[in-house]
Amino acid sequence: MSLPRFTAFLLPLLFAATCGADPATAQASAASQSDPAPLGPPLSGAALDRATEEVASQMRCPVCQGLSVADSPASSAVDLKAEVRRQVALGYTKEQVIASFERSYGEFIRLEPKAEGFNWLVWLAPIAALVAGALVIFFRLRPLRTGRSPATAGNAGGTPITRSTREDSRPS
Amino acid sequence: MNRKVLLVGLILVAPLLAVLASGLRHDPREVVSPLIGRPAPGFSLADLDGRTLRLEDLQGQPAVVNFWATWCQPCAAENPIFSAVARRYAGRARFVSVIYQDSPEAIRAYEQQRGRWGSTLVDPESRTAIRYGVYGVPETFLIDARGLVREKVTGMVSFDGLSRSLEEMLVASAIEDKL
Amino acid sequence: MISLLGRAVVLAALLLATIGAVMSFAAAQKRSANGVERARRIAFLYAALMMLATGLMELALLRHDFAVSYVAQVGSLATPLHITIVSLWSSLDGSILFWGLILGIFTAGAAMHLRHSATDHLGYMLGTLFVVGVFFTFLIAGPADPFAPTPLPVPTDGPGPNPLLQNHPLMIIHPPMLYLGYVGMSVPFAIALAALFAGRLDRDWIRSLRTWLLVPTGFLTVGVMLGGWWSYEVLGWGGYWAWDPVENASFLPWLTAIAAVHSALVLQRKGTLRAWTVILVIVSFLLTILGTFLTRSGVVNSVHSFTQTPIGPAFLAFLGFCLLASVAVLALRMDTLASDPARETLWTREGAFLINNLLLLVFMFTVLVGTLFPIAAELVRGVKVSVGEPYFNRMAIPVSLGLLLLIGIGPALPWGRADNQNVRRALLWPIPAAVAGLLLTLAAGGRSWGILATGALAGYAIWVNFDQGLRLSRKRREDEPWTEAVGEAVRRGARRYGAYLAHLGVIVTFVAIAVSSSYQVAHEATLRPGESMTVSGYKLTFDQVNARQEPHRISDRARMQIERDGKAAGTLEPALNRYDSRMEPIGTPAVRTSVGHDLYLSLMNVGPDGSIGLRAIVTPAVVWIWIGVFIIAAGTAICLLPAGLRFPGRRRHLATAVATGAKAGT
Repeated sequence: MSLPRFTAFLLPLLFAATCGADPATAQASAASQSDPAPLGPPLSGAALDRATEEVASQMRCPVCQGLSVADSPASSAVDLKAEVRRQVALGYTKEQVIASFERSYGEFIRLEPKAEGFNWLVWLAPIAALVAGALVIFFRLRPLRTGRSPATAGNAGGTPITRSTREDSRPS
Repeated sequence: MNRKVLLVGLILVAPLLAVLASGLRHDPREVVSPLIGRPAPGFSLADLDGRTLRLEDLQGQPAVVNFWATWCQPCAAENPIFSAVARRYAGRARFVSVIYQDSPEAIRAYEQQRGRWGSTLVDPESRTAIRYGVYGVPETFLIDARGLVREKVTGMVSFDGLSRSLEEMLVASAIEDKL
Repeated sequence: MISLLGRAVVLAALLLATIGAVMSFAAAQKRSANGVERARRIAFLYAALMMLATGLMELALLRHDFAVSYVAQVGSLATPLHITIVSLWSSLDGSILFWGLILGIFTAGAAMHLRHSATDHLGYMLGTLFVVGVFFTFLIAGPADPFAPTPLPVPTDGPGPNPLLQNHPLMIIHPPMLYLGYVGMSVPFAIALAALFAGRLDRDWIRSLRTWLLVPTGFLTVGVMLGGWWSYEVLGWGGYWAWDPVENASFLPWLTAIAAVHSALVLQRKGTLRAWTVILVIVSFLLTILGTFLTRSGVVNSVHSFTQTPIGPAFLAFLGFCLLASVAVLALRMDTLASDPARETLWTREGAFLINNLLLLVFMFTVLVGTLFPIAAELVRGVKVSVGEPYFNRMAIPVSLGLLLLIGIGPALPWGRADNQNVRRALLWPIPAAVAGLLLTLAAGGRSWGILATGALAGYAIWVNFDQGLRLSRKRREDEPWTEAVGEAVRRGARRYGAYLAHLGVIVTFVAIAVSSSYQVAHEATLRPGESMTVSGYKLTFDQVNARQEPHRISDRARMQIERDGKAAGTLEPALNRYDSRMEPIGTPAVRTSVGHDLYLSLMNVGPDGSIGLRAIVTPAVVWIWIGVFIIAAGTAICLLPAGLRFPGRRRHLATAVATGAKAGT
């Protein structure tokens, strides 16, 4: 089993183990719940608009069915977008903004699952399917590469056509 | 019997059916709040009379924080429930409501008619609602004496449910005070 | 009264379908032509009963007979007539009845069209269709019974159909088209299973499979597009595809159906890919059942979701049964489809089809996993996650570019084995068109690699498909005026013309999607009367809001004056509609469509002081998406023209043509 699969099983366990917060630290962090410092430069104007759209399009509008905060006309989405704009203007990066909303709304608000743990399935499945399918085609086509026309059968190093066409019993 | 087809078929079909069957048991719209068990997000908001109330001011006693609006029908329906619970637990728990996407004038008019069961806070640009992960109204957060979010109720509260939760929080904090 | 009659008719249909299933399978096994003939009669009767049941429901809707539960759910005295008629399919129970109707019609249609087929094939096919019919009729008779009597007291009025469904005429045509595609997949599925049961897939049956695969695929193509178009015109967010789970549910069978069509082409021409064609057809049908399950069961979060109902588990049971039965039948009978052992090389048209189908299947698998992943994640991790537009777009773009590449390379490559020189020449010869496409894209302002790749690949593909299409007529040019030559070529090669036309439609659609999604411009503003906003060369001035009272809703229309580059260009009135049955208003955007772009105005809210929140979007090339898909549908229809269609007056040329053809050694 590959490493990503293994961590997929392990990570939920680790998460569960660390989940129960120790009361003492909970109290301390409640008192010091100031936001982390922005990692990027403050933005304004067209750059601010662009960055807001970019971040808001990665966040799910919580009250709509599947629309992003950028696209949704719902009034609560408008408020969320304004908050995104405020944070982006202060210089918070896309990841910081999304993480802060995730603290309040949960992973649900991300429109793309974070690439970690079990989520790797959704990111790797397409590639796995592509590779698997390519292999199927490869094995289907392969016999013909060795079986050329009878004149060149000898120097191609392949078996004559008659034999290669019968050796494979897979359905076609 | 083509074994390969059978194997591949079952490998594809079984997980699919399992996933779909499990989906039937869950409501895709119901999202568990990530705040449960974590410290409640801090706030510092003004009430309708201009006085500022902060989260820290509520510590030491269980607190009920309710997000609502005058345009929301279930909010109107649960108003008397809050009044009753607030009366019952007066002095033992704190009751706070936060206005969500509404105007202070509308709230004032409403409260003049219906009365008030706790501090009513104004939340400009819904910043606090966003920090609490509010999807819509009504939503009610139950915060224990130490400041941790114990429960989030989406939709209308019930008298029994709210009372039960408060009793649990009171008992828990009483035990801790003794320790 | 109607309630009782309707239930009786449906129960009779259920009984009939059951008898029909048993009889068909028995007759097929015994190769009894009489038995199969009786089964055919039952199919016609079944269709008649379903039409009767539907007619009764329409009667109940039109008469506002609220004693019938479905009418009590979606009927309303205030609803306009045309919407009352189509409210048959506006909601859960009625739409299942509609499904049953279409299934009955298709069953009878197949029984009619394929009446000269081999006895065992016909019998097994009818049997399979009847089994599907049993399930759906059972639903209509039981869990999703629209004829159930309304609990007393009988209301005097109802809430009316879902307001979203009343906003636009597209909603009238989208469900029927989609259902014709969805339900229609039952027929090729039945044909494929019949081939497996009978252990034989001969030329006649292959031809039947191809025909009955193309029909639902064509409808499905149009149905999916209409869904996107409706979403664009009605929902107000300015987009046409959100990768919503229910949208995906309609898209998945389309992908495998297209793969099946291409696979069937190889099967017809070369006799290979027997098993793959059968598998793809079966999977297409299974995906329609899966799609319906997703839409109706409430397991996914979607704009279209019907609420969770008792038929969710029933659908899951049926889906499970179909999946396991299909696997079993395939495992047991696949080896009977003994195939010609000839193999393909990669650099041939067959090879291109293989890669094409690989990409389509990977696309399907990706969308499927993405759609179902939230359910799986909740099962495994206990956390709700979302898989939304950014993910699907990220995956869809490379696959789509690959498909666009293949639409160019595939038709360029020759059938069967060819020497390297020919292949190289065939592939390099359209390169100038690719360069032209690239330059055109650059000139039009395209800068991102995705757009540039699209332009180059589209240029290549357009050239190849035009060229291949024209080649068909080139042979006749020496001795006939070319118009007649084209007519002749169409007569003889209708199928291939249809394919090339369909490909051109795909290219147009693809380019339109790429352009419209990359260059959309959106602005939002709050406007008081007299104020204006600008977007992309348009100046929009807000006049005032007029409230219009309609029988079933109150419509707030915001009158906007449009100016384009300084010149007055009319008015648009986006609206917010308030229905009695709903608390939140539902918007109707105002869209001005032109060949180059759409101006799209969406009214977000109306303030108490008369100000409005407005969203203005300019999207280029949107109309070409719809046009492109209609071209695909036209191409599909041409493919279905009967071979040997005669144009009058061609006979005397035929002899000459044949002689010339023989001389030229074509």
